[in-house]
Amino acid sequence: MKLKVCGMKYQDNIQEVATLQPDYLGFIFYEQSARHFDAHRIPEISNTIKKTGVFVDADLDFVIKKISKHNLKAVQLHGNEAPEYCKQLRGKNIEIIKVFSIKNEFDFSVLKLYDDIVDYFLFDTKGKLPGGNGYVFDWTILNNYPSTIPFFLSGGIGLSQIDDINKFQKSEASKYCYALDVNSKFEIEPGLKNIEDLKKFKNNLTSKIMNYNVNEKGYYGEFGGAFIPEMLYPNVEELRQNYLKIMAEPDFKKEFNQLLKDYVGRPSPLYFAKRLSEKYNTKIYLKREDLNHTGAHKINNTIGQILMAQRLGKTRIIAETGAGQHGVATATVCALMGLECIVYMGEIDIARQAPNVARMKMLGARVVPALSGSRTLKDATNEAIRDWINNPVDTHYIIGSAIGPHPYPDMVTRFQAIVSEEIKWQLKEHEGRENPDYVVACIGGGSNAAGTYYHYLHEPDVGIIAVEAAGLGIESGESAATSVLGKEGIIHGCKTLLMQTNDGQITEPYSISAGLDYPGVGPMHAHLAKTGRAEFMSITDNDAMDAGLELSKLEGIIPAIETSHALAIFKYKTFRPEDVVVLNLSGRGDKDLQNYIDYFKI
Amino acid sequence: MNRINQKLKEDKKLLSIYFTAGYPNIDDTTSIIQDLEKNGVDMIEIGLPFSDPLADGPTIQDSSTKALKNGMTTDVLFTQLKDIRKTVNIPLIIMGYFNPMFQYGIEAFCKKCQEIGIDGLIIPDLPVDVYHEEYQAIFEKYGLINVFLITPQTSDDRIRYIDSISNGFIYMVSSASTTGTQSGFGNEQTSYFKRIGKMNLNNPQIIGFGISNNQTFTQATQYAKGAIIGSAFVKHVTNEGIDTIGKFVDSICN
Ligand SMILES: Cc1ncc(COP(=O)(O)O)c(C=O)c1O
Repeated sequence: MKLKVCGMKYQDNIQEVATLQPDYLGFIFYEQSARHFDAHRIPEISNTIKKTGVFVDADLDFVIKKISKHNLKAVQLHGNEAPEYCKQLRGKNIEIIKVFSIKNEFDFSVLKLYDDIVDYFLFDTKGKLPGGNGYVFDWTILNNYPSTIPFFLSGGIGLSQIDDINKFQKSEASKYCYALDVNSKFEIEPGLKNIEDLKKFKNNLTSKIMNYNVNEKGYYGEFGGAFIPEMLYPNVEELRQNYLKIMAEPDFKKEFNQLLKDYVGRPSPLYFAKRLSEKYNTKIYLKREDLNHTGAHKINNTIGQILMAQRLGKTRIIAETGAGQHGVATATVCALMGLECIVYMGEIDIARQAPNVARMKMLGARVVPALSGSRTLKDATNEAIRDWINNPVDTHYIIGSAIGPHPYPDMVTRFQAIVSEEIKWQLKEHEGRENPDYVVACIGGGSNAAGTYYHYLHEPDVGIIAVEAAGLGIESGESAATSVLGKEGIIHGCKTLLMQTNDGQITEPYSISAGLDYPGVGPMHAHLAKTGRAEFMSITDNDAMDAGLELSKLEGIIPAIETSHALAIFKYKTFRPEDVVVLNLSGRGDKDLQNYIDYFKI
Repeated sequence: MNRINQKLKEDKKLLSIYFTAGYPNIDDTTSIIQDLEKNGVDMIEIGLPFSDPLADGPTIQDSSTKALKNGMTTDVLFTQLKDIRKTVNIPLIIMGYFNPMFQYGIEAFCKKCQEIGIDGLIIPDLPVDVYHEEYQAIFEKYGLINVFLITPQTSDDRIRYIDSISNGFIYMVSSASTTGTQSGFGNEQTSYFKRIGKMNLNNPQIIGFGISNNQTFTQATQYAKGAIIGSAFVKHVTNEGIDTIGKFVDSICN
């Protein structure tokens, strides 16, 4: 969450506050204010801090003059400025923040008029004066926030609100809260800020509120972003600008949920695995994504993205696939919607995943072999991206995991988040509590894991376990354990952990499971690894295969080999008998039958 | 003044040639550069090969894969180029993807470029805003010109923004495509060339992607300061080796 310090007045104080690196500093250009900024100039401060001019029903000319004189990066409009007024400030390379004051209630419908005009809203407490009244309003009013435009939260915020802010952060109402705006509660006198208090506030916020979600620039900590060639910019930018808006539309939500229910078969059961639990002396629940239509979690994402593609007016769908699971899930939704479907698949994978290739063809998709590089998943992804470069207008690229340039990792995560959303209420029914002690998932690119973790990321009492494929062993040179073997780098448009040579060439991973055979990992998981929020484990081919067989025998469920990796952790990690461990059973083993047969000589 | 800016001042249409370093053979780099200069080429893009060149078509991909197999690395390239300024004066640009440079260290990479006498960089997957926020100061410190791409889909606003951050030329991608996929320019492209021409940008434009022969070169340079040939040159080298570079250049210019 960003921090704005408003009502700056004195030169030395401005520079002192600037050393704390707030994201915005506010200067009030309103004579009636006790914090009226009347100095000739704003002193030199770091250009990462956005200088913000605060105005109250000022003349446009006056505003424009101040923008250029002080090189302002944002204007905050505190009066009754109409949409037309705000519009005239557009295209001036300046962020527009429109303020609304809230008392006990607020009619959010006025926001609509400003929708495509302002960059942010700011909510503060209604009082005698425009701003700076020092009281906090009831933040639960924001539960009804109907917009997806990010907002600043303001009004009487001080040190005593830290706990409330932490609580607020966890609530739905904070979803679009972009920044906190502070002023009078950090003052020695009007306009003179108390540095020590601000420091305390800032430290408390950043230490208590570690954010594991994506920020507005598309980063999870240092990971993420959109490192794409200019040729892809219009496509990715179109998606970035629209994905949250579209996902928030009632009509979209309705169709998405309906299809998940009637077509995919959601909610998927949360099954208490009694015999497995007995064996490992802890309580193990399996989230049965294997029971979804097409046999894995992948369909949650493809349903979401196909609806997105339709709303963006796209008529041609492309996808990459490794084992063919995502390819099948994509071909399925394309058949469902009657859209053209092209799936890129490495030449080598085509040979070893014949049944899924046949499925895709039956579903009407064209399967194009990726002949470049090592002819596996990474190269199929390259080919899909190249296709998108060549077809920039009518095509949507359905990425199959929480990877790729922003907004893909976040969008895929949000579509998969249904998994943890359901776990919450299902576990409440089983155990009387929403939070398990651990959530566990295997990680290829990280989509089933992202969905499993999503609603627990900010619940400190829930442990997160991420399971990667060690292949023949971490040290063997034949592995896909990115968090151990990877270094920070750029793959497929995203900065993340990535297996590569010292020279920055991307290397080929290896795993018996084609779905975990990816040299990178989604940026969210790179961040979870780096911050230590998640515990990463790596499981070899052999251990995974044994765990797959074990689940088949103990519970009558044949898992996908990807999932078998997650199941194998019980051999290595001991849980307490009273622990509740929820594991995402991401897929069923039908597609892997030949692998199991060959491995166990069945 | 940077050699690129000097060259752009000359009153002629410029021919820029791309080749993949380490291809066809690992040690061809310097002799290709010297030959290109000798045969009247105006500017050279030295391709630093990458395992996953997203913006490239099959020809450059294949040459990159081969170059990496031949043992090309960032260090090897820098060593090969160590004394290049003793023999040539032509503007030299390194074109490569961001990850190998990022691993080398952006500052270290830029510093090395300056030592060798590299004039500029083209990094297709380093977006303009990341460059502007994080790396521009470093590039400028080492006197390097960074060249950005625009495409027929790039909005006017964004073109102006890119123009404002550029200090050499703008690389105009001829059409929505990866490298090497075009076989000629139709109305759509010429009207795009004209549209950009009319914008009166601060930086001159050089057209690339799909320039392969005299006809496309002439067509492109009707609307721009110059043109870049990549895949066609790589193909020539694949088919005829590196001894007939003069013949290739002649076929473009005459
Ligand atoms: C059943 C199953 N689980 C897990 C994965 C790994 O992908 P992700 O990490 O995106 O969930 C795959 C990929 O194909 C899969 O098919």
